[in-house]
Amino acid sequence: MIQIMTKRSGVRLVAAMAGSVLFLAACAPGTDEAVGGEGGDAEDAELGDKLTLATWPNYHDPAIIEAFTEETGVNVDVNVYGSTEEMEALLRGGSSGIDILMPTHYAVPGWIEDGLVQKIDYSKLGDVDLSTWNELFVDQPFDPGNVYTIPKNWGTTGIIYAPEAEDPVTSWKEFFERASGDLTGHSVIVDHQISSIGSAAVALGYDLNTTDPDELAEIEQLLVGLKPDLWAITSDVQPPLRNGDSWSSIAWTGDGVQVQRDNPDYEYVIPDDGGELWVDNWTIAADAPNAAAAHAFLEFVLRPENSAADTEFCLFPHANPAVQELLSPEVGENPVIYPEQAAIARMTLSSAEAYNSEARAEMWARIKSSS
Amino acid sequence: MYRVMGAPAVVWYLLFLAAPLIVLLVVSLGRRSPNGGYQPGLTLEQYGQLGTRWTAFANTVELGLVGTVVCLMVAYPMAYVLATRGGRYKTILLALVVVPFWTSLLIRTYAWVFLLGNSGIPALLRDLGIAEGVRLLNTPFAVVLGIVYNYLPLMILPIFVSLDRIDQGIRQASKDLGAGPARTFLRITLPLSAPGIISGVLLVFVPVLGEYLIPVLLGGGQIYFLGNALADLFFQSRNWPFGAAVATAFIALVMVLIGFYRKAASRLAPGTEQEGML
Repeated sequence: MIQIMTKRSGVRLVAAMAGSVLFLAACAPGTDEAVGGEGGDAEDAELGDKLTLATWPNYHDPAIIEAFTEETGVNVDVNVYGSTEEMEALLRGGSSGIDILMPTHYAVPGWIEDGLVQKIDYSKLGDVDLSTWNELFVDQPFDPGNVYTIPKNWGTTGIIYAPEAEDPVTSWKEFFERASGDLTGHSVIVDHQISSIGSAAVALGYDLNTTDPDELAEIEQLLVGLKPDLWAITSDVQPPLRNGDSWSSIAWTGDGVQVQRDNPDYEYVIPDDGGELWVDNWTIAADAPNAAAAHAFLEFVLRPENSAADTEFCLFPHANPAVQELLSPEVGENPVIYPEQAAIARMTLSSAEAYNSEARAEMWARIKSSS
Repeated sequence: MYRVMGAPAVVWYLLFLAAPLIVLLVVSLGRRSPNGGYQPGLTLEQYGQLGTRWTAFANTVELGLVGTVVCLMVAYPMAYVLATRGGRYKTILLALVVVPFWTSLLIRTYAWVFLLGNSGIPALLRDLGIAEGVRLLNTPFAVVLGIVYNYLPLMILPIFVSLDRIDQGIRQASKDLGAGPARTFLRITLPLSAPGIISGVLLVFVPVLGEYLIPVLLGGGQIYFLGNALADLFFQSRNWPFGAAVATAFIALVMVLIGFYRKAASRLAPGTEQEGML
């Protein structure tokens, strides 16, 4: 069951259930009133007594959250979601009562444009200096100058292959060719158009984020033709790998770490031809009931020792080199978690255009309903 | 007095039936905002694209019908044996039918993932030398199996109730008048149990049409139901207006289907309207 709730995992139960509640939430007036000063905590009255987080499963070290509550008196309510889209649905519904969200970068431009998030007040964050962080993840087009967001952890979209695949699967080109070749019936692509359409685009020599109609048509042809040869289209990639059903699978860093930790014979590779890079980001909702506590929380978790504890817990790489230095060798020097900079420099951050593209979304629906 | 007693029901219907349906309708007339979500509008353009979800719709109805029919074929003999041969164990046997419901649907369905996966039943078949390279998981078969397994009790219970109500004397009379077991079954038992069959079919078919979980877990994303199309529209595509239009059209269609079904059913088995349909 653990796998069901891993980050970015596909079984969108929460989604299905939240979906029905959404409409009610959307039409009911918000009852959450901003938590003002009367939280009545002895230590830091103006922070209020409650902070609400919308984030991924298994993403935060509970000890860090407890330590924050101890230091400030603010209780943290952690709500987990299986996808950025679910967090977004919540946010767009309005009056969510959420203070901090953890979107993957591609959602950020739309959120900023629609006024869903607020600027971060760096004066409240102590000595956070993003200029020392990994340049691939800060000051990027999704939020120039990091006005609204600060990276939490990042990751890659790579390939896991099992010993049964015999030869290593080292590029997207090879992944898609062999999925209809010697790995027919044993390959899995994720149920996420950005990663799956994007990786297929890279395999065909196009940009990960393409929205060009001709290129998309060619990718669609590839994926529709491939579908009968796949084992599954699912973001819950670990069970079929562990079960021996899938031998070659698109996967995200977290899956790579977990599968390889339990089965050292499995490999997680960063494809030679590049692919998707992504980063999750701390953001504060525009209508956050408790923005003061949100800033206090960011200041607390961004202290390198606390970020390091979080990273040891969630096993996704952190963009702050000061954090990496504090990690145990098993994490900080693990090539699945921290691939070589040269390998990730070949990769591309998925774009907001790809995320918001109706053409890609509709194409994905056609691929999934084809037979 | 009656008015006061009825108030909670009225409030309930307004809040949980009428209000959501109105919201759904309003959203379906809007537009998707460029970054996803809902932009107010008054247009029917969402309904114009309904055709793009035809395959999902056809899949749902087709596998839903197959699942319901198989469910009926499995449930009827079980209900028959329970009702006629259950004896003093009847209550216990009936309770056992319901026991699986005590575990979450998710967990029960997830268990099938491992049973049907290559290291489950296919491995057993291979080791026994019966069949090689059988693929069960992520096929239409697995989805139908999931439907039958999960919805079986909903079919058994109403059929059991209608069979259990049949006066043994009637069947006895049929035999006394010279009808064999087959004739008695076809002329007496089956028609008298029709109300149960009719309710059971509805109780299974309607929720199956909205099924989301079974195609995801047992269909491996290869089998796309309307429920999956809806989830994708609201989350991956963030196209709320189109999602709302698909949902509205679907609700309308199901209501029409149920209308026809009831009409046909009341002709086949007069009196079923009163016999505790939904």
